[in-house]
Amino acid sequence: MKKNDLKSMGKSFTKYILIIGALLILLDFTFHRHEYFSFAEIYGFPAFFGFVSFVFIVLLGKWLRKFLMRKEDYYDQ
Amino acid sequence: MISNFIPGLIMIITSFLLPIIPQYFRHPAMLLSVGLSALSLFNGYGTFLEWDILGLNLILYQSDSLTLPFAIIFHIAAILVIIFSWHSKNLMEHMATLAYAGSAIGALHAGDFFSLFIWWEATALTSVFIVFAGNTNAAKDAAMRYLIIQVSSGVLLLIGACLMLYQTGNHNLAVLDLKTNFGIFIFIAFGIKAAFPLLNGWLQDSYPESSVTGTVALSAFTTKLAIYALARTFPGTDSLIWIGAIMTAFPVFFAVIENDLRRVLSFSLNNQLGFMVVGIGIGTELSLNGTVAHAFVHIIYKALLFMSMGAVLYRAGTTKASELGGLYKYMPFTTIFCIIGAMSISAFPLFSGFVAKSLIMSSLGGMGMVLIYFILFFASAGVLEHSGIKIPYFAFFAHERKNKVKEAPINMLIAMGIAAFLCIAIGVFPKYLYQILPYAVEYQPYTLDHVISQLQLLVFAIIAFLFLVKFKLYPSEIRSTVLNSDWFYRKMLPGIGKPLFKKIGLLTDSLYKNLGLSFKQVLSKSYKFSNLSYIKVTTPSFAGTILISILFIMLVIVLV
Repeated sequence: MKKNDLKSMGKSFTKYILIIGALLILLDFTFHRHEYFSFAEIYGFPAFFGFVSFVFIVLLGKWLRKFLMRKEDYYDQ
Repeated sequence: MISNFIPGLIMIITSFLLPIIPQYFRHPAMLLSVGLSALSLFNGYGTFLEWDILGLNLILYQSDSLTLPFAIIFHIAAILVIIFSWHSKNLMEHMATLAYAGSAIGALHAGDFFSLFIWWEATALTSVFIVFAGNTNAAKDAAMRYLIIQVSSGVLLLIGACLMLYQTGNHNLAVLDLKTNFGIFIFIAFGIKAAFPLLNGWLQDSYPESSVTGTVALSAFTTKLAIYALARTFPGTDSLIWIGAIMTAFPVFFAVIENDLRRVLSFSLNNQLGFMVVGIGIGTELSLNGTVAHAFVHIIYKALLFMSMGAVLYRAGTTKASELGGLYKYMPFTTIFCIIGAMSISAFPLFSGFVAKSLIMSSLGGMGMVLIYFILFFASAGVLEHSGIKIPYFAFFAHERKNKVKEAPINMLIAMGIAAFLCIAIGVFPKYLYQILPYAVEYQPYTLDHVISQLQLLVFAIIAFLFLVKFKLYPSEIRSTVLNSDWFYRKMLPGIGKPLFKKIGLLTDSLYKNLGLSFKQVLSKSYKFSNLSYIKVTTPSFAGTILISILFIMLVIVLV
């Protein structure tokens, strides 16, 4: 039982976030979202931008490990 | 009488009295001194204290609409730190913290560059003891590096102030530009403390090495003092827009792979400073308001996040993501407070970050700066990644924890509770924050467009996180060191300097030897000087030598 705590929490969290995400996209169709730049007014643009940015940051960061990561005692050597 | 007393000075005096105050009364005395200092907030605007010395007119205490919001938040931060450290009996750290907060508050009220310099160095000298209080060898080494960098910043400020006085006959705080040589010196001095790109190494190097409570104090004052100084002297300086944009974007990649969560927060701090620097660079009333508002709310939620990680360090003994996880069961209140801090920094609507960041984003949008706007928008997704998700996720969730830990002590919970309350209160009632900003600007952060846009960004960034975790693309936590700009003076310079100095040493050694041979009959004792131990004495201080040489060369170039 104990082991499933985090898993079930994760599952329900994922479910709610996906529902909220879907609602936010649907909301975009109900009104004209004014932005400072016209291309940002495309349906779901901030959502797309957020998703892509996040993936880009994580994957680029992961790749940068090749160049930036050293052993924990690097400066002590 | 109290009206002429420099704000913060009473805190410094109290800090020196702490050793003779019995243990139980120390924290109340500290709080009282902050309270007395805070009375100055009701003095209104004006110049209250000047001092003519050596033909210079020093403005020791002045206040205006830009000082006030910083003074308010510095006092609040001091109170939070004192409550958070109530359980601690570390006298040196208490003295240093109180004097440091007092110096930072004093610095805000300086009206000329020389008084600012004195306080600037005072914050350096007091805060180094807070880094030192980490009480590990790593902390002691970091403290020394920290001191060198901070004092260098002060020296540059002093050079700038002297040049300014010499060339213009004036040394009062004023708007400067980068066309003058003294402007450049002062700009770099501020830039070091504001952790500009490549000048930022000291921040991530030293802050995470301090104690459970020390890091909270450190996070509040130094960098925001630099932001205040930049806002006062360099508003509308175009280069700040790009410097700030780089500051917002770059640290996010480092934060992704850093294992020590307090260091992640230090990268995050750097990224937050970027938003403020952009606001100063734009230089409009709206953007400067944005910078001040951002500094204000940032101090609270950053302190809250550092407090929550401090509590984790205190109870679990580490803040390394690779060793943590599952603490939500044992530290539920800390978890909730941390999530509130995380949501505030990520700028969720109804949290304080949202109402502050909106001002800067709106001023960018209003000016049509599309590229910078989207760099900052991108960086917002980065903030969510490292501070919004990574911190709470790896500390409190991630996986089940085997051994039990206790919830944070009550004083820590109270301090975190107050900070969390402020994060939400400011987010829900932003008008009270807007009222104390330097310029009267009508602004409504809660428009439907804005709220939906921000929520889409954040929610889909969270979905991206879940997606990456699900497909095992999210980088696992590895015990490691992530290289940062402090590498240049911790590895590269020693790498070049040590062999170089050794060569020079050998050269002089052989020279001495030859000289020694020729003069052996006359001065037989001179041979002693050619002993290699001479070189050993000089090598460790070579970093200092190089630094001083660089400063000297810069001075010569400017003067010529």
